[in-house]
Amino acid sequence: MNPELLHTLKELLPQIQGYIYPNEIEIHWGLLIVVYPYITGIVAGAFILASLVKVFNVKEVQPLYRLSLLTALAYLLVAPVALVAHLGHPERFYEILLTPNTSSAMAMFGFVYAWYLMAVLLLEIWFVHRTDLIEWAEHETGAMRFIHRALALFSRDTGERAVAFDHKALKVITIVGIPSAFLLHGYVGFIFGSIKANPWWSSVLIPIVFLFSAIVSGVALVILLYMVITPLTGGKINMRCVDKAIDFLFYAVIVDFSLELVDFIHRVYQSEEEILILSEMVMSKLFASLLIIQVLLGMLLPLALISVTKIFKKRFHLSEDLRKMVYFISVILIQFGIFATRWNVVIGGQMFSKSFRGLTTYKVEFGGIEGLLFAILLLALPIVILAVLMKILPPWKEMREEGAAETVEVAGS
Amino acid sequence: MGKLFEKFPDPLARLIVVFLALVAAGAFVFFVLIPKPVKDLKVQWDNAIRQESARPVKYAGFHACAECHDKLYETKKKGYHRDLSCETCHGAAKAHTEDPDTVKPVIPAERAFCPQCHAYNPSRPRGFPQINPVAHNPLKPCASCHNPHDPKPPTTPKECAACHGEIARTKAVSHHVQLECTTCHVTPQRHKVSPRAVKPTKPQDREFCGKCHGKDASAKLSANAPKIDLAEHGEKYVCWQCHYPHSPEVEQ
Ligand code: HEC
Ligand code: HEC
Ligand code: HEC
Ligand code: HEC
Ligand code: HEC
Ligand code: HEC
Ligand code: HEC
Ligand code: HEC
Repeated sequence: MNPELLHTLKELLPQIQGYIYPNEIEIHWGLLIVVYPYITGIVAGAFILASLVKVFNVKEVQPLYRLSLLTALAYLLVAPVALVAHLGHPERFYEILLTPNTSSAMAMFGFVYAWYLMAVLLLEIWFVHRTDLIEWAEHETGAMRFIHRALALFSRDTGERAVAFDHKALKVITIVGIPSAFLLHGYVGFIFGSIKANPWWSSVLIPIVFLFSAIVSGVALVILLYMVITPLTGGKINMRCVDKAIDFLFYAVIVDFSLELVDFIHRVYQSEEEILILSEMVMSKLFASLLIIQVLLGMLLPLALISVTKIFKKRFHLSEDLRKMVYFISVILIQFGIFATRWNVVIGGQMFSKSFRGLTTYKVEFGGIEGLLFAILLLALPIVILAVLMKILPPWKEMREEGAAETVEVAGS
Repeated sequence: MGKLFEKFPDPLARLIVVFLALVAAGAFVFFVLIPKPVKDLKVQWDNAIRQESARPVKYAGFHACAECHDKLYETKKKGYHRDLSCETCHGAAKAHTEDPDTVKPVIPAERAFCPQCHAYNPSRPRGFPQINPVAHNPLKPCASCHNPHDPKPPTTPKECAACHGEIARTKAVSHHVQLECTTCHVTPQRHKVSPRAVKPTKPQDREFCGKCHGKDASAKLSANAPKIDLAEHGEKYVCWQCHYPHSPEVEQ
């Protein structure tokens, strides 16, 4: 017998509870597939935050505008890496591009992704930065000057007509962008939701739950980045902006939580034949990641913390530092919570037998392309990309603004 | 830029140029640079098949061994391990069939080997012969009592449980605990010696269970049996399509 197989079997077999089919012992969608929806979620969420400013005119969060666009871009660039790495033969990836399969739901990701990257995100970033690029290039020398000029497509037109067009284009792109961002992450939910044979995934609510958890994770991450980057680079955190963004986050978490609750009640009420094994799974294999991390630490605790700052408004408004700390803890908890959400969906769906009579276990490897180390690398990569992007397209001016209505005009142009 | 472009605002004109350039570059790469076979799905499948079939064959297959090990082959065919291929235990042996004197297959004689299939594990199918390797005749190699090519208990067992351990264990904690196996299976003695050649009977119809569970049942032990109306209850189906006979349950 294949010694490698024997080795994995020897480790996994004692962990199995009840009866499962032989091909269910090993879990095939591992850590990388957990990382992937987590990352695309952040993309969608960060973009929605950006559109708050442009479409809904929420002036207070203007300092987060460019940061969230760049964050979305940095994470979007990494999203397909997780998928490609998960292929048995990553080096054959290009073959997918040569012979596109238009009827595969999974291949649709390529199209949705390309659309989102090229038609939405890059365009929006370009229009936002065009006049700045021209201006920066004027005061620079050397390589940076060339980079900025090239990025502006050698445009030098800062005339009224051009600037007016920038504004109009931005509006249109953002409006097209919102459904596109929904599509991008809704698509990921769709893939899971449409797997009929798997009762843990097969639910029409899944795409919507994915979407709201995406908004939660993206907004929380941008707030976190803002709260970390600003002091590190010698700026001062604009609390009006953070307050507003946290407000928005708060409602998003509530909606996300209620949707998941609806899904839960629906399952319990329907009580189809899988309910026994699913509840056993939730109470044993997923207990820590679902009940403790996702629900308790990732949702209820942040909700409670933020509510406290709202209920005891006076006390908390006296001390900005206290508020900052509460926010900071909340957004970090939310990140862990959403990561656990992805884990529970992806891994949970493969942990129970389709015979509904048994459970298997997922053992994370450390090394290797499906391993922990690589996953951590993937999660760190967007931060590095973001740092580079911020060097090329510095958002500092906007991030440092005192964030009031009167300055918006300058920043928006 | 040409006159045409002056109609557009400057940023738009530039984007259009970039867009057209990208489309042109993409089209050029796709239509000109990439050779046709690479894009043709049929050719790709064809290549994939050729690639896979060109890989060296390592396994000789079940029947290849019969040519030289005909006695073992025949023995195994009649025993419990008839469904296992020789190479399941002896590893890939294509090279051995070609050059039997220099290449020897592995012989899995160590005790740890057999429990990979036979150690007790609830995910194995019902009735699969399982033992607890720690408690089952420890320290001696399995092959000292069981011939791996015709495994059976070394002595003719008295109990059905020696070979149908899982069923016996299941029945022992079920509502049918009082019933002997032979109540439902008429078992010739020879079944315990050559079980595949001589098989016990199995209940065939609903009336069989009805002997104890029917309204007016009179068989021994039927006094305690819960009664059902044979004409109404689970009509059309035989009883064991709904009730596992070795552990009948009634789900509410
Ligand atoms: C061409 C004839 C031939 C074929 C086909 C063949 N064997 Fe053998 N096998 C031999 C010979 C000869 C020996 C050596 C006998 C001896 O040493 O007593 C042998 C020995 C063995 C041994 C014992 C090795 C040892 O170390 O003592 C095993 C195990 C074995 N064969 C397995 C297989 C399996 C499994 C197959 C089918 C895939 C197979 N053989 C097919 C001829 C063959
Ligand atoms: C269940 C696993 C298993 C299967 C299946 C199996 N063998 Fe073996 N085989 C063994 C073990 C274990 C030994 C060593 C026996 C011992 O140590 O006495 C062995 C020994 C042998 C030997 C050398 C000793 C002897 O008895 O002559 C040969 C030859 C051999 N097997 C051939 C075969 C062939 C041919 C087949 C297929 C018809 C086969 N085996 C199927 C487990 C297996
Ligand atoms: C030496 C081991 C052995 C013993 C002892 C044994 N059996 Fe079996 N029995 C088998 C095997 C092996 C089969 C599977 C035969 C097949 O599927 O070809 C089997 C099959 C059966 C079947 C199913 C027959 C069918 O047609 O599917 C019944 C019923 C059965 N045994 C009952 C019994 C009863 C009752 C006893 C005790 C009185 C008993 N057996 C003792 C090995 C044994
Ligand atoms: C690849 C899995 C596998 C391996 C390895 C294996 N067996 Fe088996 N064994 C089986 C199967 C399958 C049966 C037949 C079960 C049935 O008929 O329901 C069986 C049946 C048996 C039986 C008959 C049990 C009974 O009911 O009386 C014995 C004894 C046995 N094996 C011993 C061994 C020994 C000893 C070894 C190690 C040399 C071994 N097996 C290795 C799969 C395996
Ligand atoms: C000392 C001799 C001896 C050794 C060594 C031995 N067995 Fe057994 N085995 C028996 C006897 C006797 C039975 C008949 C049932 C019983 O009495 O437990 C049996 C029964 C079995 C059965 C059938 C159990 C069932 O529930 O159907 C399997 C499978 C089995 N042995 C596998 C193994 C394996 C695997 C090893 C090595 C780890 C092994 N045996 C070592 C003597 C032995
Ligand atoms: C209440 C009656 C009843 C009793 C008692 C009973 N059986 Fe059965 N058994 C059945 C029926 C009915 C089937 C046929 C099931 C089917 O065809 O799906 C069966 C099938 C089997 C089979 C073949 C299918 C399988 O599940 O592996 C075996 C082996 C078997 N019995 C062994 C036993 C043994 C050993 C005992 C005693 C420990 C026993 N039975 C006691 C009713 C009984
Ligand atoms: C020899 C008589 C006898 C035969 C034949 C028999 N049973 Fe039973 N059965 C009983 C008895 C006695 C009980 C009640 C045991 C107790 O719980 O006290 C019972 C209990 C049951 C129960 C109820 C279990 C519960 O949860 O209350 C079911 C279902 C059942 N048998 C199904 C069957 C089926 C199906 C068959 C045919 C394969 C069958 N029986 C054949 C004697 C028999
Ligand atoms: C279509 C599935 C089905 C079939 C076929 C079937 N049963 Fe049942 N049986 C059930 C269900 C469901 C229950 C429990 C609900 C009830 O009490 O009606 C049950 C309950 C029973 C009970 C327990 C009644 C009590 O009062 O506790 C017995 C005894 C029983 N069945 C025997 C049989 C026998 C004997 C046959 C074959 C003649 C049979 N069943 C065929 C589904 C079935």
